[in-house]
Amino acid sequence: MSPDESRRGGCPVVTTDYRSDRPMSEISALLGQDREKAPILRNESPGTPFWMITRHEHAVEAAQMPDVFGTEVITSLTPDMGIELRPHNVQGEEHLQLRKVLNRWFAPAAIRKLEPLVRRRCVELIEGFAGRGECDLVADFAFLYPTEMFLATLNLPMEDGLEMIHWVDVFINAAAKDGAKTEIARASEWIYGYFNAAIDDRIAHPRDAESDFITRLLSARTDGEAMPRQQVRTVCLSLMLAGLETTRAALGYIFHHLATHPDDRRRIAGNPALTPKAVEEFLRLYPIVFQGGRLVKQDVDFHGCPMKKGDVLWIGFGSSNTDPRKFDDPDEFRPDRGNVGNHLAFGLGPHRCLGMHLARHELVIAVDEWHARIPDYELATDAPLVERGGQLLLESLPLRWEN
Amino acid sequence: MHRIAVDGGRCMGHGMCYSLAPHVLEDDDEGYVSLRDDSKVIPDDVLAEAEDARESCPEGAITITAEP
Repeated sequence: MSPDESRRGGCPVVTTDYRSDRPMSEISALLGQDREKAPILRNESPGTPFWMITRHEHAVEAAQMPDVFGTEVITSLTPDMGIELRPHNVQGEEHLQLRKVLNRWFAPAAIRKLEPLVRRRCVELIEGFAGRGECDLVADFAFLYPTEMFLATLNLPMEDGLEMIHWVDVFINAAAKDGAKTEIARASEWIYGYFNAAIDDRIAHPRDAESDFITRLLSARTDGEAMPRQQVRTVCLSLMLAGLETTRAALGYIFHHLATHPDDRRRIAGNPALTPKAVEEFLRLYPIVFQGGRLVKQDVDFHGCPMKKGDVLWIGFGSSNTDPRKFDDPDEFRPDRGNVGNHLAFGLGPHRCLGMHLARHELVIAVDEWHARIPDYELATDAPLVERGGQLLLESLPLRWEN
Repeated sequence: MHRIAVDGGRCMGHGMCYSLAPHVLEDDDEGYVSLRDDSKVIPDDVLAEAEDARESCPEGAITITAEP
């Protein structure tokens, strides 16, 4: 250990700043470098310090210890967001009961029922620009498609998408980077107002609980008790925050890869049967939510690292996804990989991503319908692309093709 | 013959297993594998598929043991 390397509790200290925007793919390079320094690090970049679990084996272990590492904190980069999220911040039995109500809505069986709508809207959007020979994948497709599908899942008007996106983006831009709580509060206020109106409407005119999400929440009973209205509102806000940006971001990374790797593109374009595995491998290789935050709830020695009650923890879902101890040739796109299912892009344990099946469904359909119409394309810019820090996102991806 | 078992405490409904092994496993309407917290005997001709399912589970919820 060199004289200027410091340690906390035996763990190396790093100051890697994961909140800042960077040239595309720099964040995953940093994640890999930090992972190889040690299995557990102490991050002392500006803001609240946090422990970092960098490797797959320990990330799985930590995510399966919800009583020790709780989701009262959901992102180590902004440990105190100033508002409650449900089901994110809910623990224990109460959390299980809430997920019981929600899981059914987002289970594969429920998502399959949406397929005709998802496919139709996906095709409409693509055919809107296919003849132009160029588009911005983000502005022209990835912005609207997942947003509208998410609203449709909740039985809310798709036309509300644009304004909802704006406020979700304000929220996440602040929350991903430990930004001003005033921004988080401002965005929450608008989103709460939107859902208050929708809830008032369902209270006055209940809809079918089998097809209307808000009616479903209002009519759910746990031990005979209804969900308080404020909690219904909080669940709606929480799901909006989780669902709008993530799939949009995944589309950006997928199409960037395919635009810049012609062999992979040709393989996928010619073989829709491969798409589900390819999407899973993309999720592994380009994880959007690269860390799950946790609150350390009791003093614990975790693999030699003395964590204290009240400490903040980063579970490295992103760095785990390219851990060479788990995945051979971890930085290579290999859709035939046998253990791709072990990736942690959707998290792990009781708080694993509720929307995973919807996300997969949207991504598979998008890849298939795009390549059926636009099998060959390339980046339409030499300008360096920027990825947002905190929770990955490409703001723009110009593509072009021949007609 | 072999027995495939799913640890109900670990299964979180990721869905990798029943997607990969449709001849062995299926989903319930919450998205968990229907064999959650249960086990069953499987014939040798689906063992390879079952082993893929076991490997695919990120939670490590699936075990396969020899059934005498």
